[in-house]
Amino acid sequence: MKETSNKYLISALLLGLAFHGSAIFFTLETTYDALIHLFFADHYANSWFEPWNYEWYTGFTVQSYPPLVHQSIGLLSLIGGLKFGMFSVALIAIVLFITGTYRFSLLMTSNKTVAGYATVLAVFSSSFVETLHIFGQLPSIVGVSVLMHALPEIYLWLKTGKKWYLATSLSLIAVTVTSHHVTPIFGMVFFIFPLIGMVLMDVSREQVNTMKEVTFKVFLNSFFKLFKRIVSFGMLSLVLIIGCIFPYWLNSKANPITQVPIPHGSRDNFLEITSSGLVFFLIPWGVLLVVLPYIFYRYYSKRYLFFGLSITICTILGTGGTTPVPLKMLGETAFNILTLDRFTLWASIMSIPLLGEFAYRLVEGDLKTLIQTKFGAIYHRIIGGILAGLFVSMVIFTMSLGYFRPSQPQKIKMLPIVNFLNQDDHDKWRFLTLGFGDQMAWLSAQTNAMTVDGNYHSARRLPELTTRPIERLENSKFKGVAGIGSLQQFLTTPEKYNLKYIFSNDKFYDPILYFCGWQRLRQLENGIMVWERLNIPPVSSILPKEDVAKWLKIHWGIMPFLTVLVAFILNIQMLWVNMLKTRVKPIPDFLKYPVAYTKFNRNVLRITHIWSFILAIIMCYGIYLFYLKNDTQRSPENAIMAYYDALDFKEFEKAHSLIDPESNLPIAQYMLEISVTDGLLSSYAKMDAIETEITTHNDSTVSAKVISQWITPLEKIEKVDYKSLSKHNGKWYLQPDDLNNDLPPDQLYSDNTTKYFNQGRRRITTEQTHHEDILKQPVLEVVSAKLVKYSGSYAIIGEVQNIDNVPADVILKGTLYNDNNKQLATYNAKYHVKHKLMPKESSSFRINFEGIAWSKTQDSIPDTFNPDEFTPVEFEEQPTKFNLQVAGNVSGSDLYKNVVLSAVNFNKGTIHGNLFNSGLQEITIPQLLISYYDANKEMLWVDHLFVKAGVRQQRKQDFEYQILKNGTVKIINSNMENIFVNGLPNDAISSKIVPNRIKKHSDAQLQKIEHPNFSYIKIEINTYIGSPN
Amino acid sequence: MQIKKTHIIPLILILLSGFAVAQQHEQASTNASVTTQTKYEVGSSIVLKFPATKAVAPLLYCSNSYGSTLISGDRKNQELHYKIPNNISKKTGVINWQLLDTKTPISGNIYITPKAEVATMETYIGPPSIEAGGTDYTMLVVIPTDSLDNPVPNNTTVNANFQFLDSEEKETILTNNLIAFKNINSKKESGRMLVSSESLGINSKEFTINVSAAIPTDFSISATRPHDYADGNQITTFSTSIIKDRLNNIVSDGTFVTFIITNAENNILKTTGTTINGVATSKIIHPDFKDQWRISAFVDGMAESNTITLHYKQVIEDFEVSFLNNNRTIRVGPLQSFMKQMIPDGLQVKLKVFKGDTLFKTLTKTSFNGYANFSLKPAIFENETYNFQLETAGKTKVFKSKKLW
Repeated sequence: MKETSNKYLISALLLGLAFHGSAIFFTLETTYDALIHLFFADHYANSWFEPWNYEWYTGFTVQSYPPLVHQSIGLLSLIGGLKFGMFSVALIAIVLFITGTYRFSLLMTSNKTVAGYATVLAVFSSSFVETLHIFGQLPSIVGVSVLMHALPEIYLWLKTGKKWYLATSLSLIAVTVTSHHVTPIFGMVFFIFPLIGMVLMDVSREQVNTMKEVTFKVFLNSFFKLFKRIVSFGMLSLVLIIGCIFPYWLNSKANPITQVPIPHGSRDNFLEITSSGLVFFLIPWGVLLVVLPYIFYRYYSKRYLFFGLSITICTILGTGGTTPVPLKMLGETAFNILTLDRFTLWASIMSIPLLGEFAYRLVEGDLKTLIQTKFGAIYHRIIGGILAGLFVSMVIFTMSLGYFRPSQPQKIKMLPIVNFLNQDDHDKWRFLTLGFGDQMAWLSAQTNAMTVDGNYHSARRLPELTTRPIERLENSKFKGVAGIGSLQQFLTTPEKYNLKYIFSNDKFYDPILYFCGWQRLRQLENGIMVWERLNIPPVSSILPKEDVAKWLKIHWGIMPFLTVLVAFILNIQMLWVNMLKTRVKPIPDFLKYPVAYTKFNRNVLRITHIWSFILAIIMCYGIYLFYLKNDTQRSPENAIMAYYDALDFKEFEKAHSLIDPESNLPIAQYMLEISVTDGLLSSYAKMDAIETEITTHNDSTVSAKVISQWITPLEKIEKVDYKSLSKHNGKWYLQPDDLNNDLPPDQLYSDNTTKYFNQGRRRITTEQTHHEDILKQPVLEVVSAKLVKYSGSYAIIGEVQNIDNVPADVILKGTLYNDNNKQLATYNAKYHVKHKLMPKESSSFRINFEGIAWSKTQDSIPDTFNPDEFTPVEFEEQPTKFNLQVAGNVSGSDLYKNVVLSAVNFNKGTIHGNLFNSGLQEITIPQLLISYYDANKEMLWVDHLFVKAGVRQQRKQDFEYQILKNGTVKIINSNMENIFVNGLPNDAISSKIVPNRIKKHSDAQLQKIEHPNFSYIKIEINTYIGSPN
Repeated sequence: MQIKKTHIIPLILILLSGFAVAQQHEQASTNASVTTQTKYEVGSSIVLKFPATKAVAPLLYCSNSYGSTLISGDRKNQELHYKIPNNISKKTGVINWQLLDTKTPISGNIYITPKAEVATMETYIGPPSIEAGGTDYTMLVVIPTDSLDNPVPNNTTVNANFQFLDSEEKETILTNNLIAFKNINSKKESGRMLVSSESLGINSKEFTINVSAAIPTDFSISATRPHDYADGNQITTFSTSIIKDRLNNIVSDGTFVTFIITNAENNILKTTGTTINGVATSKIIHPDFKDQWRISAFVDGMAESNTITLHYKQVIEDFEVSFLNNNRTIRVGPLQSFMKQMIPDGLQVKLKVFKGDTLFKTLTKTSFNGYANFSLKPAIFENETYNFQLETAGKTKVFKSKKLW
């Protein structure tokens, strides 16, 4: 018998390559994972055998991820660059997947036409589309595809016992192992175990006449008969799973994942968080949901019984946190480590053969006959049309998901950043990206510079990162406040990580950068703002690494390609035969069990109808709920919600459409009013939660108290607004708010300021900066400093003055010691200091001692966390002494001082006042530093207030500050012996430059207050200018 | 006999010693260096010569501060010639040598003396900015070296040149152990000092030292304002006199001056300025109520000014309040300024609402076209009786027991 080519398979291959092959160029780079794999590939391309990578997380080992896909990209990159490598591997993955599904479907259905149908459908299956085009999980795709290739070989080995098949199956298992570690382990459970069951069924079937006669006894007999083959295969594949990526297992044992679990959408309750439900349940299942009854019916037939069990478990596990079942099945630990979407992926892949079967029967088989006889030909056509329409729309929807809801920020041109890092030895320091998304991996792949961050969270090593449920510092704003808190620690003590440069693609982070002492360097031509921090030592040229034995490195470098080579040699001949039909080959054993598609079960059709009906109702209800939630003017709550959402996302036109049309507020005026409000709340806040209390007055007017929670990079803000709403024509509208009418005195005015420019190096040379171009560090003086304890936490407070003639950037680093001079803690001043001081300007300061938050007890992580809060260091011993290191560096930026305290009033524990902006820049965030003094005018404490609104030029802004509640401050040590300025003793400096300092000179600035513990306060003002001009 | 014996012993000793001397002499004559010169100027060619007594030429081991090497000799006219390689002979200092003749090793040393010429000069100066007044100083370090990069002999003259204001000075310093250095103290004046140095005809590049003013001394302040009304809408500008240090130098630009204002209620307001040519100016908005300000300025811990006093006159003597719309709208105004003109927009009007005696809510509005309107939203203010207190421009009006409905 001459075999004919399977035209379905060939068309599937052509279609798949054309469709996916062209689409990947538009999707792959914006997926979650693809660029991470690219970074790993870059590592292998540069140092194939050295597993240690210095670029991320202050160093990590690439032996923490199976290397085959990365190495393949790396190898191909030597021909045409990294992206060429990635796209080539993606094309290979597509081919492997399509051929894999064909072979798997053929194995399952024993019918080439059905397998062909399944393959064509698999090309467009939404789970594959999602995994490739949205998640970019290349290793996972390669792994599961090769596993599907292995399944027929395993079947044949178990069935026939020919050693050749054992070899081919094991060679393919080895390739699976080296491309993805989770796939073979769970693949064993979910694919191979049921396959073994199926083989046993087939063997049992051969011993009796009908399937019905296959009893448990017969089955058990077959099991004992094949026991040796099963065990030998099982043991050998176990050896391969461990052996092929042995360094991986060794590394997992040496560096167990001891981090706080990172929340993943696949563990959410899909009914509550519908976006997760969409991405991790609805899309991967897609049209399969409709034929679910058929799939279960078929998989629970006797031959496939074990597949039935397997798909059931996968389906249930795939539902994540919707039901408590997955948590109970997996246990707490596994539930929190595994991403559960992979179970849905496997369930959907397992369903593909049966989807093909269903489609075959519907298009040209018994189902068609059944429907046509029962409901008529037109109904059949309509049903077919609906299913096909659903199928196609699912594909379009999935493909366009990345377009409508981009998972990544706009594509960033990396070249200017790469050039910046190559310039002037900038790569001698570590850098950090903010708001880059997964593109940070692409940047890392292009530069040799190192970052403290990284994009492979399993490899994180710094406790500051592993104790937080954040994947990257880079997107910490989306991780709520735990993220911002973690970021703040890196920004406050960057010298610990040699972190000097920050590339910011998100202005949200600007205020915290400024108040932590960073300064803007310049905007690159791609719009990325570069921030730098002065006084950071470069990365040392010898960095620690965790070395592994040489044989492990060689194993890791050679084994993956060796497995591919072996698999190629063993399987190529078979492929040749299969593909090109060069030689007549005996029919493989699994083709001996075809199902006769003669009579479609009427009950299944009925159930499918009912099921589809239920699905349709659920869908309609979902859409209805969606409509209710999104119909912005149906209820006052909706209107308020929509208004605040619109403001949060800066959709001012939409916000204006919710303003009462009878108030005659034209959009031009509305926009103008919006545009003149700047400040922490209106420019740098992200809404976290909103709550409304509605008081109804009559049918058409209500008042609402709106309590909104906002996360800003500096602190969490609770804002209470009172809004009135009225109803016109069944729609609710908001009444506009009043605006501040303050009229500035002058139309045009002038101001003279002293500005500074530092040339850097004056010669155009790549040499080290000439010594005469190096400026003297400005001389600072610590006027007073003491170690105090207030409400349980220790702090160093005091006053620092720039006594030089040039402006200074000030960095204060405090260290606490006990009586035995044992160092207990060290930290830098965060935002309780003016980091930029003009000549002779002074600033109060406070250094908090922040510990690594929640490092002790994982369960104490608060659900909502305030960025302003911090975890104080837990001291094992009592700190009694302190050391203070002050470093000054010349800085010409952020020296705006034209802010005036123009009115102040004291009133029962609160201070009301006005800030007046007398200069030429708009103040975005004013900060007050309030120092407290005792009756002897000795400083006791320093507190701060960020004023929520900005101050425009020549305008006033009022503020309200709550004076600290009662509480005594205990002065522990006020000895100023161990204070050093630029490495020199403070005493010597002060007696040289200011020998006759007027003591207590600032006493005249102290404001008397009524308070049981404090007698005086002093207010200093620091300003952040968002867009200096 | 006894005497004879005592004579014989020294005689024998002398004889024996004579042998010893003879023995030594014999050795030296066979192997000693022919060259006797032990001092060479750096860079000159050095050849050590030895009489060749044996067929085999021993190696010469020689070492200086940079390292050691072995040299094989050339046999010329019954002499062995060892040429010291350039890389050794071009460094000043001691060369130790030893002829590696196993039986009778002989050794010696050569001194390489520096050349009295200067080819290059390395100069360093720091810090690049110092303070006027004579106590602060910067250090000039000059390292003249010869063409082979060796330091010149001790006590080589280096002439340091200084230019400051209209004086040009020259000073001679001598090198000692490689370097010549000088501490340059600042003068009384601030300014820019240029420094260069010269040694044996070779000149260094130019260096710049910024001499900036020392810490400021007390100064005086003044204020200017368009009028003396407390309308909350004009700007008073404070200026300092030219702030100088104790040697009459104008303090450097950017010096930070804090103006502290104590008002009639003893509350402390604050504005700041930075100097340009010694004068710091600072602005503040007028108060919107009658007030008396005492103003003084400080440079923290270093200098302060006199105190000046400013009076601001009340502009709004009285204002009207009307209750409309079920008492839920309170209209304040017209608010009129000193010439009966409507007060410029933005005057703050504060409404304090009391339930009985307890403060329930404070609302703040800004005036618009001379009026301020408060609307009491039913969400906050239920239908009840309230006491109202209105404050603007330092004036207060109280309205008791107003019922809202």
